[in-house]
Amino acid sequence: MRHAAWLLLAAGACAQAEPVVYRIDPAHTRVHFEVRHFGTSTTRGRFDTLAGSIVLDRGAGSGEVSIVVDTGSVSTGIAPFDGTLRGANLLDAQAQPQAYFVAHRMVFDGDRLASLSGEFTLRGTSRPLTLRALHFACGPHPLLKREVCGGDFEAELTRSEFGMTYGLPFVADRVRLQIEVEAIRD
Amino acid sequence: MNKPLIAITLAAATGFAQAESATYSIDPTHTFVTFEANHFGTSTLRGRFDRKEGTVTFDRAGKTGKAEINIDVSSISTGVAPLDTHLKSKDFFDVAAGNGSAKFVADKFGFNGDKVGEVSGSLTMKGKTMPVTLKATNFNCYTNPLFKREVCGGDFETTIMRSQWGIDYGLTYGLPDSIRLLIQIEAVKQ
Repeated sequence: MRHAAWLLLAAGACAQAEPVVYRIDPAHTRVHFEVRHFGTSTTRGRFDTLAGSIVLDRGAGSGEVSIVVDTGSVSTGIAPFDGTLRGANLLDAQAQPQAYFVAHRMVFDGDRLASLSGEFTLRGTSRPLTLRALHFACGPHPLLKREVCGGDFEAELTRSEFGMTYGLPFVADRVRLQIEVEAIRD
Repeated sequence: MNKPLIAITLAAATGFAQAESATYSIDPTHTFVTFEANHFGTSTLRGRFDRKEGTVTFDRAGKTGKAEINIDVSSISTGVAPLDTHLKSKDFFDVAAGNGSAKFVADKFGFNGDKVGEVSGSLTMKGKTMPVTLKATNFNCYTNPLFKREVCGGDFETTIMRSQWGIDYGLTYGLPDSIRLLIQIEAVKQ
């Protein structure tokens, strides 16, 4: 199925080698984070509000991804904890209401998208970040009758690099990100 | 509220005979029940249940344990309100028809040394009870510096086939049957 989608992409590339814009579908796009608590369980949360676009130039095998995440939309299911996360010594959502990921470098392994590299800006600090593609595919959506591309990506960041040192070392410095994305062709 | 109290009383009573057995109450602020489902072969849909409570009793020396976790199905949260409404509807959990709670009861703890390796029991959802085994991907105990008490917990996971509980919406047009459950638990020694 996935292979078929990429074959279609490859076939399409010959006829049409120009950038195509996909708009991120917020109903099927989410950023989750995981951080180890006292070396024991994993605390999980997500950001509920985000927007962005993907531009794919299939002929050139290149593209651009830009995502804006509303830091105040952090949600763990525990309201007081969400309040702590939004506070000045963690996300600082009031002063820094948005985080950004902008990627220009797509690495392909054969016809498979392997990774996406760019810059992540959080609390006003920018650092390089690479998202590994666990899977990525494009195909016609059965209900929308439009092409949809989507996949799962993961990345790791060190939160102290962005000035978030609160709770170290009891709450780990390393944060794992899981990003599930679907984007609909414009 | 009553159940944990009874468990604590029982633990206190048996405590004299068997000093190693202890009751732990689940810390809801560090316990998460997350599910993952693949969406049309592309991205993974993740959601969670926000309200849960329960107790865990285990004996590290005797390598036995019991757990009961109650989940409020109506607290399902994906971050997309219309999707939450759909998941609570007749198509999936059918909360309005009295399926508002799910329960995991386990009475078989497998140990690797003195660490919990897996927990077997049964999961009740939508009126059906089926066997489920959770595998520990991480387990640890530590003394919490704030409440000066022992906290044990870890990450557990399993994959279930939702159709076994009669939740079969969308199977015919490509929504997956297999659902991965990720359970992160911390429980405070009572």
